[in-house]
Amino acid sequence: MRIRDHRSLGLALLALVALFSLAVVACGDDDDKGSNGGATRGFSAAGYKAAGYKAYTIEKDQPIKIGISSALSGDVKGLGLPIADSATVAADGITIKGHKIEFVREDDLCKPEGGPAAADRLIKANVVAVVGPICSGGTRAALKVYDEAGLTHISPSATAGDLSNPQGRAEGPYVTFFRVPVLNADEAREQANYVYDVLKAKTAFVVFDTDDYGKDLSQQFQESFKKKGGKIVGQPTGYEKKQSDFNSVIANIKQAKPDVIYQAGFYAEATVFLQQLRKDNDTKNIRYMGGDGVKNDELLTGAKDAAEGIYLALPGTLGSEFGAFAKKYAALTKGKESDAEGATFGPESYDAAAAILKALEKVAKDSGGKLTIDGKALNEAILKSDFAGASGQVKFQNNGDRAGAVVRFFKVQGGKYVQLKANEK
Amino acid sequence: MTPLFLSTAEFWADQAVNGLTTGSIYALIALGYTMVYGILQLINFAHGEVFMVGAFAGYGVVMGLGGDELSGAMVAVAILLALLAAGAASGATALTIERIAYRPLRRAPRLAPLISAIGVSVFLSHLVDDGFLDGQSKYYPLIFPTGDISLGPVSVSYLQLFLMGASLLMMGALYWVVQRTRVGRAIRAVSENKDNASLMGIDVDRAIVITFLLGAIMAGFAGVLYGLFLSAIRGSMGFLPGVKAFTAAVLGGIGSVPGAVVGGYLLGLTETVGRELLNEIPGVNLPNEWKDVVAFAVLVVVLIFRPTGIFRQKETKRA
Repeated sequence: MRIRDHRSLGLALLALVALFSLAVVACGDDDDKGSNGGATRGFSAAGYKAAGYKAYTIEKDQPIKIGISSALSGDVKGLGLPIADSATVAADGITIKGHKIEFVREDDLCKPEGGPAAADRLIKANVVAVVGPICSGGTRAALKVYDEAGLTHISPSATAGDLSNPQGRAEGPYVTFFRVPVLNADEAREQANYVYDVLKAKTAFVVFDTDDYGKDLSQQFQESFKKKGGKIVGQPTGYEKKQSDFNSVIANIKQAKPDVIYQAGFYAEATVFLQQLRKDNDTKNIRYMGGDGVKNDELLTGAKDAAEGIYLALPGTLGSEFGAFAKKYAALTKGKESDAEGATFGPESYDAAAAILKALEKVAKDSGGKLTIDGKALNEAILKSDFAGASGQVKFQNNGDRAGAVVRFFKVQGGKYVQLKANEK
Repeated sequence: MTPLFLSTAEFWADQAVNGLTTGSIYALIALGYTMVYGILQLINFAHGEVFMVGAFAGYGVVMGLGGDELSGAMVAVAILLALLAAGAASGATALTIERIAYRPLRRAPRLAPLISAIGVSVFLSHLVDDGFLDGQSKYYPLIFPTGDISLGPVSVSYLQLFLMGASLLMMGALYWVVQRTRVGRAIRAVSENKDNASLMGIDVDRAIVITFLLGAIMAGFAGVLYGLFLSAIRGSMGFLPGVKAFTAAVLGGIGSVPGAVVGGYLLGLTETVGRELLNEIPGVNLPNEWKDVVAFAVLVVVLIFRPTGIFRQKETKRA
C-alpha cells in the first residue's frame, strides 16, 4: 500500500516537472529563432523620464574627474584593462582651463549587474562624464541610471543594436548615451559578405555567447548570411561564459559539415572552443570566423596552434590620430607602440575620452579658478563632436551612434594577427 | 535545422562516446566521494578542489617538460609524470584537509565537518582563482596525437580512447586495492562499523587517511585527464564536476564503489545524449548548459523512485 502511494506521487511529480520544463523550453526560445526582420530591434523607451542634468563645480586647483566603467577583473579584463588605459592616455598632458584631469575607474565586470553598480559609484564620485560601460549587457542595464543622473557616457565598445533609438533622439530616450564603435549589425553584415564572397562559404554553423552582445551579433550574422544566399546548418548553439565543454556542440558540427564556423562571443570561451575543435580530425580544418570579442592577445597565448588560420573581424578603422595614441599607450603601459594594435577598442576608447575632453574645453566656464560645467551643455557639445581621432573621424549620429562604419578583417598567421586587404583570404 | 530524429547513427555514436568520456572523469571523482562517505558519513565538499589541484599539478609538469614543444615518446613520458605528480599533489592536499578540517571534528555533530568541508572548498577554489590566477584560465597544450579509430558508425579519437582506458585501469587498480589487500579490508571494515573495527585491532585513523588518499589520487588523475580532454583549467573548475560527481555517487548509491562508477558513466551519458535528444524536438534549441539541467533532472527522477541510489548500501548499525 505504502509503496504504491509513493510511486503515484512520484509519477505525478514527474509529470508536473516534465510539463513545466516543456513550457519553459517552448516559451523561452523565441529570441533564438532568428529575425524580427524590421529596422527597430526591440528598442524600448517605456517609462522614460527626461534626463536629470545637473551642473558640476570644480574648485580651484581640483582636478576634473572623468569616469571609466570597464571590466577590470575576470575573464574579460584582457579587453577591459587596455580599454581603460586607452581612455586614460587621452588626457596625457592635457589640462582644461588650468585644471588637471583625473580618471576614476570602476569595475562593471562586463555583466548586466555590473553596469548599474559601477554607474552608481561613479555618480557618487561626482564625475562629469564617463567612458563606458564596456559591454552591451552592462550598458543596457545602466542606460536608465546614467540618464536619471544626467551623466553623459560614451561607450567605446557596446555594440548591440537596440541600445540606441533608431528613430533618433527627438523622442528622448537616453540622450546621455553615446557610442564610438561600429555596431553589431554592421560588423555582422560585413562578416557575412566576407565569408560568402571571399571565403566562398555557403553554409555556416553558429555558436554564440548567450549574453546581449553574443545573441545580437549572432542573430545579425544569421540574417545577413541568409540574405546573401547562405544557409545556416545545424542549430545555432548558445553557451554561457566560463563554459568548458564544447564536445557535444562539436559533434553537432561534425554532423552538419559547415563550410565555416561562426562564433559570436569572447576570447576566453573561444580559446577553449578552438582547442577542443582542433582536437578532432573531422573538425580540425573547418574555417572559422570570429567576432570582435574574440580578437585578443590572450586568444593567441591560450590557444596557440589551435588559433592558427582563423579569421576575425574588427569593427572600426585606424584614424590619423592612431600614431599619437599608440605612443601614449606605450608610454603608460611601458610596452611597445605596436601593443596599441592589440588593444581591441582601444582607439575607440581613446576617442571617447577625447570627445569628452574637447567638449569640456568648449563648455567649462571659469570664474576665478573655479570651473562650472553644465551637464546639458556638455552633452550637446559632445553630440556636435567632429574631429579626427584614433579610430577615424569622430562624429555622432543624432541617436548617439557613431556616424560612418568600417570593418577590418584579420587572420591568425604564425601566431600573430595579420590584417587582410579587401578580398584577400 | 536537422530534421526530427534524422540525426545520423554516427552523430549519436559520437555523442555517446563523448558522454562515456566525461562519464569516466565523473566516475573517477565520484569514487572519492563515495569512499569517504562510506567510511566517515561525510560528504567531502572539498573533493572538487582536490581534483582541481591535481589538474594544475599535471599542468605544471607538462609545461615544465616543454609544453607545446613535446612530441613523440616525450608526450607519453610527460603525461605519465603529470599523472604521478597530480596523484601526489591531490593526495597531499586531501591529507592536509583531513588533518586540519575534518579530524578535529570527528566527534562533533554531523553538521560541523560538513560546513568545514564547504569552507575548505570555497577557500581553495578562490585561493587559486583570485589569489594566483586572477580569474584567468590556463590551457593544457595540444600534445596528444589526433586520430580516430572507427568501428562501423562509432568513431573514437585516440584521446578519448586513452581517457576511457586509463580511467578503467585506475578504477580496476582501486578495486583491487579495496577488495584484495589488507589495507582495503581495513577500509571496508571501518566503513561497516568504526567502533567494532577498532575493537578488532584495526587502526581506524590510518584506514581513514588511506581512504582519503586513494580517493584523492583518483581525483588527481581525473584532473589531468580533464585537462587533456577539455584544455582549460581554472581555480573554480572543481565546482561543477565536483557537484556532478557527487550526484553520480548518489545516483549509484552513496557508499558503494561500483555504484560510483556506474553512476559516473550513467550521468555522463545522460547529460550529453539527453540534451541532444531534447534538441531533436522541433523548435527546441537548448544552449550547451542544458546538459547540466538534464543531469540534475535525472538525479531528481531517480531519487524519487529509488532514494538510496542504484546499488543501495546497507545502513550501518549504530550502537
